[in-house]
Amino acid sequence: KKMASKIRVVLRPVKSIVVRFCPFESNVESTRKFLGCINHKKIQATNRNCEVTADVRHDGSEPLVDVMFADGERLIMKGANLTTIEMLTALGSRCNAKELKEEQKSKKKSP
Amino acid sequence: APATKMAALSGSGAPWRRGWLPALQFVRRGSKAVTRHWKAMHFQRQKLMAVTEYLAPRPAIPPRCLAPRKETLEEDNGYVQLLRRQVEEVFRDNRMIAVCQYNSMPGEDVVLMRHYLRKHNIEVKFVLNEIVRPVLSQSKYKNLLPLFVARNILLVSREAKAKEMLRVLKGVPQINLLGACIDDTILSRQGVENFAKLPLLEAAQGQTVGALALLPSQTSSLLQRGSAHLTALLDQHIHQLQAGETGSPAEPAPAQSSGTH
Repeated sequence: KKMASKIRVVLRPVKSIVVRFCPFESNVESTRKFLGCINHKKIQATNRNCEVTADVRHDGSEPLVDVMFADGERLIMKGANLTTIEMLTALGSRCNAKELKEEQKSKKKSP
Repeated sequence: APATKMAALSGSGAPWRRGWLPALQFVRRGSKAVTRHWKAMHFQRQKLMAVTEYLAPRPAIPPRCLAPRKETLEEDNGYVQLLRRQVEEVFRDNRMIAVCQYNSMPGEDVVLMRHYLRKHNIEVKFVLNEIVRPVLSQSKYKNLLPLFVARNILLVSREAKAKEMLRVLKGVPQINLLGACIDDTILSRQGVENFAKLPLLEAAQGQTVGALALLPSQTSSLLQRGSAHLTALLDQHIHQLQAGETGSPAEPAPAQSSGTH
């Protein structure tokens, strides 16, 4: 069983993250924990330019995580039925895939 | 066999020199009873050990099939009670209590934020959910219960200075205001912003008094309009006559006109 704070995500390909939730609802726990984990020192240190915004509403909408990547791709995670670890691993796997692509591109360009 | 060996070895030191050597040498390879390597047990001893092995007692019904028994509630230790009392005190004493989500912040930022809030007489309290939840569920603040998930801090104050608090929190991105309870009214984040935009109480009172006083003043001016108009006309008439006096005397005329009215 993994602890949510042990999962390391490399945020380099990410431009901005917007976390929207309604704190008076009951299905926001995993989204709030996700926000807390993302604001950890080590994960923030991987990319200082990434802006993490928290949007607190009161309109009964479901919790949402909106990630904008540097190459224009967008990842939307609806956290109502997801756990924190699932969200973190999903984001982490996509970031790793993008990193690999960029490394391959830079290797192709250099020689 | 071991008995004879013991008897042979019970001599003073080296068994092979002094002591009587038995006619039959029972020890084959020369290793003693206590060796540094694992020595195989005698066969009879092996059989005895195998027969007398420990078998754990198994319950007739496996515990998974039975209903789970309820664990006894642990008593609260003094520390938990003290923390609960503190939380209750906080909720009783302060007019404004704001609940914010705390994402990890560097230490200096925490100290700076505390300093700025202290200037406006706002205290920062770190709370544990497992203590706050039972206190809230028993008090009248049941609707604040869903807020207390993940790490939270409370900003408490005796005065309701929402504008300054919002300004300080805007400078700290890692703290997100979730909701507040001001004067026993639960407000969401939007509600707190609206509350901050309201003008001061004295200004609001002054505006109300002015609006209320407007109508009677209009009525009084309406009532006085007739007599004021009359006095203005008479004054004008007097001026005209005084101007015409230089030409011809006409004093009884204004006395007659005032007499008819």
